Amino acid sequence: MILRIAVIASIVLPSLLPAQIRASELGTMTQIIDGTNISVEYSRPRARGRQTLFGTKAVRWDETWTPGANWATTLDVSKNVKIDGKPVAKGKYSVWMVVRQSGEWTVVLDPKSRRYHMEPPDSTAAQIRLPVRVETIPFTDVLTWSMPELRANGGTLAMQWERARVSMNVEVEPSLVMTLTAAESAPYLGQYKFTEQDSTGKAGTISRLTVTHEDGTLKARWTPDDPYLKKFALIRIAPDWFAVGVYDENGQIYEVLKPDMVLEFTRRDGRPAEFVIRDGDDNVWGKGTREN
Amino acid sequence: MPHPTPRLGVTGEYVLNKEELAQTPKLIPLFDSVRKIPEVMDGIRCNCGCTDPPLLRSLLSCFEAKGMARTCAICQGQARLAVRLHKEGKSLEQIRAAIDAKFR
Repeated sequence: MILRIAVIASIVLPSLLPAQIRASELGTMTQIIDGTNISVEYSRPRARGRQTLFGTKAVRWDETWTPGANWATTLDVSKNVKIDGKPVAKGKYSVWMVVRQSGEWTVVLDPKSRRYHMEPPDSTAAQIRLPVRVETIPFTDVLTWSMPELRANGGTLAMQWERARVSMNVEVEPSLVMTLTAAESAPYLGQYKFTEQDSTGKAGTISRLTVTHEDGTLKARWTPDDPYLKKFALIRIAPDWFAVGVYDENGQIYEVLKPDMVLEFTRRDGRPAEFVIRDGDDNVWGKGTREN
Repeated sequence: MPHPTPRLGVTGEYVLNKEELAQTPKLIPLFDSVRKIPEVMDGIRCNCGCTDPPLLRSLLSCFEAKGMARTCAICQGQARLAVRLHKEGKSLEQIRAAIDAKFR
């Protein structure tokens, strides 16, 4: 029997050795927004039955605390961003919070990313310091970083634990300019007759595309109406090339169909006269011809 | 990352051939087209992520060796656009700009 256990142990133990149960398991939160990678790496402490954490020996008031455990929580941004309006250069930062019993807390991003939780940084000019409001929320057992709200150009970065939630607004550098001046838009305005074509080039359904300029943006709408696209943005990606931007119910662009749906205009006598729509495979969906 | 400079004398001899594309015969015409314009394809950075970090030198590389373009729709789309624009007489600079506009 002993021999059998020894044999089993010799087979099983090597694969078990790397495993380790930790009070605060390592976790990551990663979100890509318009090509900017936002990543938080942190050890995740649990309440473990404790009902109150802030203002106790777990996290003392006025302490500079890393919202995590073990090695300090880090925030890594692959491009320059703004957090609550403050510029944050691309790079990796250790994240700290000055927690207060009343009033705002302060989020501190320290350029030295590798710090142990017992060595909070002194205040320096190189740090980015952000006053943040603390919301009271239902109890959260495991400290959690998340991005619960996303937009085309940013989102909300949030940390919650116990009954506290701290949120920050992150803005990324947009890869596309959504707007177009009235003068730039003018040549494209009007109505186009659009004929779909299949993969062999055979003509199919006919519809119409009306191009307008509204709120500083070149927009278009199909007739008959397309229930998904509705009124959509034409976002210039190259001279006479436009990608389609889809609006949500609040009038915010939430998706840009690039490279999946690009309108390529051709000019006659200097004026856009025709366009084709091509997909990401460069297949032609159909051809539009100006009617007025 | 900038577009690569095409290698002097680069050829399409390593672009996968029809025997190597037996499992994906629909792609043979595209690979054949790529093989004909290596001096263009070798001057284009691929935007699918395979060259960032630069594991593959250029869009031409995507159609060689393991042939990641066999399964990557972005590689295929970029190549189709490049082939079309080359046929239309566009310069390498114009082709690069169009690919970046649509796929970057």
